[in-house]
Amino acid sequence: MTPSLPWRRRPKPPATPVRDLELLAVDLETTGLDPARHEILSIGVVPVRGDTIELGGARQYAVRPVRPGGVGDSATVHGITDDAAAAAAPIAEVLPGVLAELDGRVLLAHHAAIEVGFLAAAGRRGSLEVPELTVVDTLRLQRRVLQRARPFGHHTEGELSLASARRHLGLPRYRAHDALTDALACAELYLAQVAALSGGADLTLRDLLR
Amino acid sequence: MDGELTEVAEFLVGHAPFRELPRPLLAALIRRSTLRYVRRGTRILSVGEPNEVMYVLRSGAVDITDGDGGLVERSDPGTSFGMSTLVERAPSRYDFTAIEDSLLLVVPEEAFRHTCARDPAFESFYTSAHAARLRRAVGTLHVADRGGAVLRTTLGDLVRRPPVAVSPATSVRAAAQLMVRERVSSVLVIDGERLAGIVTDRDLRSRVVAAGLDHEEPVVGVMTPQPVTAHADALAFEALMEMVDRTIHHLPVVDTAGRVTGLVSSTDLMRLEHNNPVYLVADLARARDLPALAELATRIPVILEQLVAEDATARDMGRVVTALGDALERRLLTMAEEELGPPPVPYCWVVLGSQARHEQGLASDQDNALVLSDEAGPEHDAYFAELAARVSAGLEACGYPPCPGEVMATNPRWRATLSTWREHFATWIDTPEPEAVLNGSIFFDLRPLHGDARLVEGLRADVLARTRRGGLFVAYLAQHAVERRPPIGFFRGLVLEKEGRHRDTLDLKSGGTAAVVELARVHALLNGRSEVNTHARLGAAVDAGSLSPGLGAELQDALEFVAYLRLRHQGRAVRAGREPDNFVDPGDLTDFELRHLRDAFRIVRSAQQALGQRLPLGSLS
Repeated sequence: MTPSLPWRRRPKPPATPVRDLELLAVDLETTGLDPARHEILSIGVVPVRGDTIELGGARQYAVRPVRPGGVGDSATVHGITDDAAAAAAPIAEVLPGVLAELDGRVLLAHHAAIEVGFLAAAGRRGSLEVPELTVVDTLRLQRRVLQRARPFGHHTEGELSLASARRHLGLPRYRAHDALTDALACAELYLAQVAALSGGADLTLRDLLR
Repeated sequence: MDGELTEVAEFLVGHAPFRELPRPLLAALIRRSTLRYVRRGTRILSVGEPNEVMYVLRSGAVDITDGDGGLVERSDPGTSFGMSTLVERAPSRYDFTAIEDSLLLVVPEEAFRHTCARDPAFESFYTSAHAARLRRAVGTLHVADRGGAVLRTTLGDLVRRPPVAVSPATSVRAAAQLMVRERVSSVLVIDGERLAGIVTDRDLRSRVVAAGLDHEEPVVGVMTPQPVTAHADALAFEALMEMVDRTIHHLPVVDTAGRVTGLVSSTDLMRLEHNNPVYLVADLARARDLPALAELATRIPVILEQLVAEDATARDMGRVVTALGDALERRLLTMAEEELGPPPVPYCWVVLGSQARHEQGLASDQDNALVLSDEAGPEHDAYFAELAARVSAGLEACGYPPCPGEVMATNPRWRATLSTWREHFATWIDTPEPEAVLNGSIFFDLRPLHGDARLVEGLRADVLARTRRGGLFVAYLAQHAVERRPPIGFFRGLVLEKEGRHRDTLDLKSGGTAAVVELARVHALLNGRSEVNTHARLGAAVDAGSLSPGLGAELQDALEFVAYLRLRHQGRAVRAGREPDNFVDPGDLTDFELRHLRDAFRIVRSAQQALGQRLPLGSLS
């Protein structure tokens, strides 16, 4: 039997004004890029309510990979060592808490395919039902921010990276690269993007999903 | 699960009062806070509005203005605001407006009070920051006053009354009685309108009483003739430097026409301020040995940092850093002379480049040379070679690296007699080669530092008489000045370094300060002006009509702004234990600063274009 989570709140309808949205910025550190082969090492989450980032709700969960092979070369990216990973809880224990936090919230991530793919794969493996998520992707939003600046210009992959996007919008540079810092970086980027795209008008969730 | 928000914590500990806050308290404060983003032009809080939070500017820029629109403070990242309402428990006294897109850390009232209750230093920081802002707002503390009195005050400001003066024929007794009556420790001797001398308490003691002189003798016999004077527009700091250096205590002040307007004493100046670089100058001049001097030199970056914090101008900071460097170098010279004995022939030690221009920063190399009297023969070189070696080693021990191009008095080529120097300059000017002109350009910014300055003054006059005719030499210099491209793109963007160690940074020197320095030098040489300081040269170029007043003023502002960013960058590097350099990470600048930087570089570019149109540079390439 698939244990079902007690979902209390339905996601907001697309007509919801952005100022009433509740989002959860999520960033994952993983052993690689393929959800079928690689595993989650840590999860950073930062809640956003309307135009406000709630730092009190920021969390970072360390996850113990189950498959042999350890963190491998990926340690050079995120700095999570085998020892640190071994001391953490398995994904089966961590995931329900994260999904509960996503309850009624929009998932916010930079290049969200990774986060969505890994959460879904982890859910399948743990026989946990991952609900249909509403997803806002700051990478896609950044493409629109850049298009406004250069309607006919071409932008490179590099310009769409989290760091470049932040620089473009005048946000401070972050040196650390853990899941929590990147989730916070993504949340701040989202606020700046909404401000840049709204141009004074009130945006709705639908405007962010385009 | 954990949740240390490292980047937010790291950011806050870079700023007071969070720096001193115990980490658990800081973490708790962050946990209770939120982040908000506001667009440029957003009014965050208005006068009279109630408010329950304190803001810390995370990025961007916010203007704090009073009810009449007067600017109280322009906030940089790290600045807290809004706390007045919490401290006073009253509606806001100020308007807070984002002048850039800004990210704000919002600390709710209960978190603010919670932290205040647990950390008295945190609380007192905010009560006093609030008080300081209030003082500024009500106008009792002008921005200009924050630069340190001794840096902001000119001698003209200090002169409170006309000088107490006597004529040369006045008797010693009458002069002494006048001094008693006027309660002064010195009296000027003025002949018509001309300053003839000065008589001090000490002169009366040693030259009258101790010598048993008749008190009816005229003062002309006991005065110190032709005393050192200072201009009314000199900074108090510079005057004090001069007095320390010459061990005198009274300095007559003259106006531009040379008329005496008053007198300042070292006590007048010392009284101005306690915490200032003047004491360091005095300590440098008195240092016993090289280790003592090197120890004192470590305070120079500290003073620079303090000046940055006090909002001094780059121009004043350059003057102060140079004055400290001068004092240190002079002491090295006198120490060398004490050990080597008096020089066998007269000489003048000259400083070159930024030090000569009074524009030294922290990354400055040693640039110096020796001009020897023509009496010097080959047998005298050993003395001066040793003198130069000692001074150079001493400078290096004090943090001034040797000049990579070996433009130093230790290089035999730049340790030469006056005649040889004349030949050097004649070669550069009359038969110029592009490479030689470039290498020689540093010698056109020179200033006598120690020894017989007359050796250099004649030389400088000759050189200017030659460059005034312009010709190929000045054209080469101008070409180089015009080729220093400011780092701006065809459209408006700033251009970052593309490779190497300084990748993705902005070079503030090459197309910035150095470009302005070179432009100013070309104008000075073209007009035969003897000014060496870049601001002074630009002013002179406007006076001479070779630079339009508008562009001249803009160029001065551009130089001031870029130089300020550069000095601030260097000060921060030293504080962080890094080598100071000229390459600033645009991420460390506010959007406001970046925009001004673009404007500054654009002004430099227009000045270069204006010069390029005036001189037939095309024919050189």
